[in-house]
Amino acid sequence: MALLVIDDLAKTYDKVTALTGINLSVEAGEFVTLLGPSGSGKTTLLMSLAGFTTPSKGTISLDGKDITHVDPEDRNFGFVFQGYALFPHLTVANNIAFSLRVRKWEKARIAARVSEMLSLVGLDNLAERKPRELSGGQQQRVAIARALAFGPRILLLDEPLSALDRMLRETMQKELKRLHRETGVTFVYVTHDQEEAIAMSDRIAVFNHGRIVEIGPPRDLYKKPSTRFVAGFLGENNFLTGHRADDDETAVEAFGTRFGFPLAKGRERPGDSLTVWVRPEDIRVGQATGDEIGFRATVVENSFVGALERILLRTATGEEIVATLRSEAAIAAVPGQTIDCRIAPSAIGVLPNEAKGS
Amino acid sequence: MKPRRIIEVGLPRFLAWCLLGFLFVPILVVIPVALTDRDYLSLPQDGVSMQHFAALADWSKGWLPSMLTSAGIALACAAIATALGVAFAVGAWAAGGWWPSLMRILLLSPMIVPPIIYAVGMVKLWARLSLLDSYTGVVLVHVVLALPLTVLAIGASLSNLDQRLVQAARSLGARPMTVFGKVILPNIVPGVAAGALLAFVASWDEITVTLFITGRAVVTLPRRIWTSIQDAVDPALAAIATVLLVVTVLALVARALIEHRQQMRKS
Repeated sequence: MALLVIDDLAKTYDKVTALTGINLSVEAGEFVTLLGPSGSGKTTLLMSLAGFTTPSKGTISLDGKDITHVDPEDRNFGFVFQGYALFPHLTVANNIAFSLRVRKWEKARIAARVSEMLSLVGLDNLAERKPRELSGGQQQRVAIARALAFGPRILLLDEPLSALDRMLRETMQKELKRLHRETGVTFVYVTHDQEEAIAMSDRIAVFNHGRIVEIGPPRDLYKKPSTRFVAGFLGENNFLTGHRADDDETAVEAFGTRFGFPLAKGRERPGDSLTVWVRPEDIRVGQATGDEIGFRATVVENSFVGALERILLRTATGEEIVATLRSEAAIAAVPGQTIDCRIAPSAIGVLPNEAKGS
Repeated sequence: MKPRRIIEVGLPRFLAWCLLGFLFVPILVVIPVALTDRDYLSLPQDGVSMQHFAALADWSKGWLPSMLTSAGIALACAAIATALGVAFAVGAWAAGGWWPSLMRILLLSPMIVPPIIYAVGMVKLWARLSLLDSYTGVVLVHVVLALPLTVLAIGASLSNLDQRLVQAARSLGARPMTVFGKVILPNIVPGVAAGALLAFVASWDEITVTLFITGRAVVTLPRRIWTSIQDAVDPALAAIATVLLVVTVLALVARALIEHRQQMRKS
């Protein structure tokens, strides 16, 4: 059975709905990320898990026991705050020892545990410093060590990396992954940064307007999103309008070409419009071979962005799409020229048009 | 010194010293007056005398008992006003929302209402509750007057404290009393100390309301001074002023020394 089960959870403030119809199961040892734009409800869910917010409806259970109305101090969940919230009057060691003193551990046991936690996060020589004497990254490590010290089964993290600069953020991502692996603690991680979510999670729950839009492993959500929101929120994407071919219910016409796609049987009528997406890195230059989908497009703009070039293309239907190409492949892409492009059939996605309701 | 430098640096410096002189010389005058050999307010004429300081220490003259009365009342007032101030300020800080702001205005009202009006009201109320001329009555009135000061001082130090510290402590398993004792209180000690000191001084100094609600039983130092001014201008007043001055200066020096030592320890 899942460690943590959230069943039909909802939260409304006065007349504003922050969360609605949330169902989520988290397995022991999993790294689950709640991803979404700001105001999408992901933090409200985290606060409900921690016990700082009381849900209006639904239940949260741990090991099959209902904990919806258990006080935060009795939940034994670790919490890493945005901005860390370290105790400013206590040294690093005493910050880490806080939860152990509250639990009335013996002195020797506390000391042993504190030094174990310090070496886990690599801060052995900073035990006697005050939080204000530490860098952002170091404070971050103290916050994690403090939240893990008492051996919680679940660690809740609220955008812990958002205050760090880009380089440090990547280091800390690896660090968090390592801590997750080494401690075996279940992580529930909130972020609005999709790259972070993709890089770290076992599963991602994508939030929008107080609901979970889709949930699954990062690879599945990236490769096979089933909503336009997820297709656009995770990674970069091109959206085009197409429609079902008049004469074939497994063919789609879009950007001046026609290709086969296993559409759901009987869902679309001939000529029904569809949303077609293709990721910039899946567009290649050259004549289509085998079952590849070929199309012609005019180069609008070509910009160098380091390892790759970003090419802005205009298709035969007048829609603009972005392709990222390796520099040597981009040589042919001179602005103004019309070139042959190709896409592997597995790289293209077709979604029913959401305006008509899906 | 070049003329320009005299105008730019010398003149402002001279004016600053004049201002300091204006503030301090009248205060310092009490010292020679306290040492006068006459029994009226004057500068020493045929040499200095310690007789007025001796009079302060003489129990039967009434100065010493009134000082002890004032000190006792001020300590009680500081303790109660600080406890109430901490309770209110921490509660308002933790709860947030509209009602703490409303309560704060209510609590600050003793600062806004003129003391003389408050005094008239208290006479009526205390007469009905038979608290006139009682220690309890004086302490309670002083607490009300000191409360705005403690609430402001403690509130100021709370406003710099991260609200999430409470959540952090709770997530680590701390119950409300532990959160208060181990997390909130240690971080607002300076504000609490300032509040207590302000409350003590407010009570120690209070005369307006005290005059109305006390008679023979409770004689605070300000009241004793007031009475002595009405009878005759006794040089013992200058002696008291001198003692208070010395105590204040010593307190300031002690504070500066402690701060200096803390700075040294930090660096």
